[in-house]
Amino acid sequence: MKRSENRLTSGLFADNTVLSACMVISPAIMCGDTIKNAIALIYVFTAITLPSVLIASFVPKRLPYAVKIIIYAVISSLIYIPVKILAENYYPESIARIGIYFPLIAVNSLIVYQTEAKFFRMKRTKMIGSLIFYVFGFDAVMLITGFIRELFAYGTINSRMVDMNTVISGLGKPFGGFIFLGLMCGIYRKIRSMIPEKKVRSDVNVSD
Amino acid sequence: MLNKKRKERHIWIDIIITLLALELMAYFYYGMKALMLGGVCIAVSLAAELITLRLLHRKFTADDLTCTSDGLITALMMPAAISLRIPAIACVFAVIAAKNIFGGRHNMIFSPAAAAYLFVLTSWKDQLLSCPQPYDKMGIFEKAENVSYSASYIFNNTGKFSASDYEILLGSFAGPMGAVCILLLLVSAAVLIFRKDISIGAFAGTIFGTAFMAYVCPVISDRIASVKYVLVTNMILFAAIYIISDMRIAPQKNYYAFFYGLFIAVSAYIVMLTTGKENVIVIMSVLFTPLALAFRSLEKKIDTAAHLEALEAAEAENASETGAAASETENVSVNEEENEVSAEEALSAESDSPEAEPEKSDVSDAETTEEAQENTADEAPEGDESNEKV
Amino acid sequence: MFLINELISLLAANMILTRALGTSTLFIASGSRKNLVATASVITLFTTCGSAAAYLINYLSGGKYSNFILLFYTLAVGIIYIILLALFYLFFRQGFDKVRKYIHLSAFNCAVMGTLFTISESSSNSAEGMSLGDFLFYGFESGAGFVLAALILSAAFGRLNSSRVPSSFRGFPAMLVYLGIISMAVYSLK
Repeated sequence: MKRSENRLTSGLFADNTVLSACMVISPAIMCGDTIKNAIALIYVFTAITLPSVLIASFVPKRLPYAVKIIIYAVISSLIYIPVKILAENYYPESIARIGIYFPLIAVNSLIVYQTEAKFFRMKRTKMIGSLIFYVFGFDAVMLITGFIRELFAYGTINSRMVDMNTVISGLGKPFGGFIFLGLMCGIYRKIRSMIPEKKVRSDVNVSD
Repeated sequence: MLNKKRKERHIWIDIIITLLALELMAYFYYGMKALMLGGVCIAVSLAAELITLRLLHRKFTADDLTCTSDGLITALMMPAAISLRIPAIACVFAVIAAKNIFGGRHNMIFSPAAAAYLFVLTSWKDQLLSCPQPYDKMGIFEKAENVSYSASYIFNNTGKFSASDYEILLGSFAGPMGAVCILLLLVSAAVLIFRKDISIGAFAGTIFGTAFMAYVCPVISDRIASVKYVLVTNMILFAAIYIISDMRIAPQKNYYAFFYGLFIAVSAYIVMLTTGKENVIVIMSVLFTPLALAFRSLEKKIDTAAHLEALEAAEAENASETGAAASETENVSVNEEENEVSAEEALSAESDSPEAEPEKSDVSDAETTEEAQENTADEAPEGDESNEKV
Repeated sequence: MFLINELISLLAANMILTRALGTSTLFIASGSRKNLVATASVITLFTTCGSAAAYLINYLSGGKYSNFILLFYTLAVGIIYIILLALFYLFFRQGFDKVRKYIHLSAFNCAVMGTLFTISESSSNSAEGMSLGDFLFYGFESGAGFVLAALILSAAFGRLNSSRVPSSFRGFPAMLVYLGIISMAVYSLK
């Protein structure tokens, strides 16, 4: 029972979408520089991924792999349309800043590739639970990234000025995103390795 | 092994002595602030090194003091007017992100000082490129009264250079506080080359490449003056000594190191000429890191191939000797009765027989392997990488 | 001089170093020479053909239906995906099993989709718009940029996965930091 619970929540920490599985990292690097951007990304990712995977689970499994992949991508592209219209009303500035990464989230590897490898091997109810935790895992990383990068790069928290003497503007740039995410992954692995019975593989395969 | 460690420490001592001389010159021009910058960078680098090594469960040894020379190089690339916080943060970045994350001094990928410089350039560009004038002395927490563009910036964009030859030699023009004293840099280069502390090939390649380009595509109409001014501006000499020729990063063989330095110099010159940016050579030294790594990997492959070839040749020689001995033995036994060969001759032939051979062959193989391993270890200070899976 | 300038402009416009597009695919590609060549070739094929398709879609839609553009691009890439698989199956059946994994990996990749959106964005920003030739050129250039970034990473791949790198940072985190520092150098050139 405990093991199945662990597997259910693994997407939140043990098998985090960004830090462990190395998925959806482009938007995290490029757009995760402020809390507002992070929230907009969270909204887009959650609103597209959850229904897309859910609908995609009804696609017949007998179809050839390439056809299934295309169908998954088309489903998420269709869901992207109402999500975009809503986003333009609620987060007009952030959506403009996110730019091309907004549609790219719709064809993220969690939907297109990991559905086959991970979610469709579970029962539907369990799959929904697991998927929710995977999405939460991404959301948590985005929030933490957005908060820290905004604070140190711009000296603000959610666009409000904070008394910071020195800001490191490079942290808000793409290279800052690369370096910060790399450091965060290392720290995450270190924390995971300190938790007993869950040793991290030292030579993690990036294709996980 | 002991010699290798000693050598690493000797290199560090030599480099730090030359850097301290430059720091002293900076103190002469800019006062206590220059000393403070150097001190802060050394202290922060050392603290960051100690803390990260502790977190990584590694022991701090005397060899890890190389972080102080990296800190001092970072300080000397800064203008004296810069806020103390900035180089301190840059040193933390250099030690943690550019060095210890990749395995520290055993697995150097980037020059920590070059990475620190880029870090400052991308986040505090205005402060980094605004230089006080020489003799504008500052107290520890004082700010410079007059900051201006560096002499390199003015030269790159207008082709004008106002300092006399005497001032150039003494470093009496606006620029990074440790990278303008040409006379001291020349002496440092001579000392470090003589002591084999820096890569001669990389140094020669950088200087030759810059001089060649400055002559062929001059910044100003006078080609000789162009070569002279290009070599003394844009931290060319400083970067050639302390960043590009860093033994931990540059290719081991001078032949490859020369081309590594040459590529950096040529591309840096072209970017400088087309964009007018200053100190491009430091940016290029980081961008060309993959080239240095590729050269190093090529060197290892060549060494391994040469070692294998030598082993094969030795084996072939042994085999031919064995074959000759065997045929000799055969001839002896066939003609024994006819020619009445003496027992002594037969014994001497037996001593060269195949049974006696393997021992000799094993020993020679073992010796060759040990020699090759020693050579590889000497040539690659970071140690054996044969177990790395690519 | 021209070559070095071109190389630097290729770096400055690199989709991975400046836009982080296709980073995870890059990590897989740089692992071995075989992976690098195959993935880079397939991605270049996808970006070039996809760019031509994007030009056609933009031309036919005439700037309208912006909400449907992702759907159109997805369908276009899907068609290219099927065509490529069919072509390899028909004319290169012996190596089909080896090649198809690279086609699967590259089809709906951030590098490919991102290139199409980037080119469309550039085209809509330019006053005169861009021709089919421009679209094809930029598509190909993106593929070449991917190759360059893969080469940059593969040069250090052994060291980044070496046992000397702390276990927490070995592999993916070290690669991110490495790419970050290279990207910082590229940014400094701008």
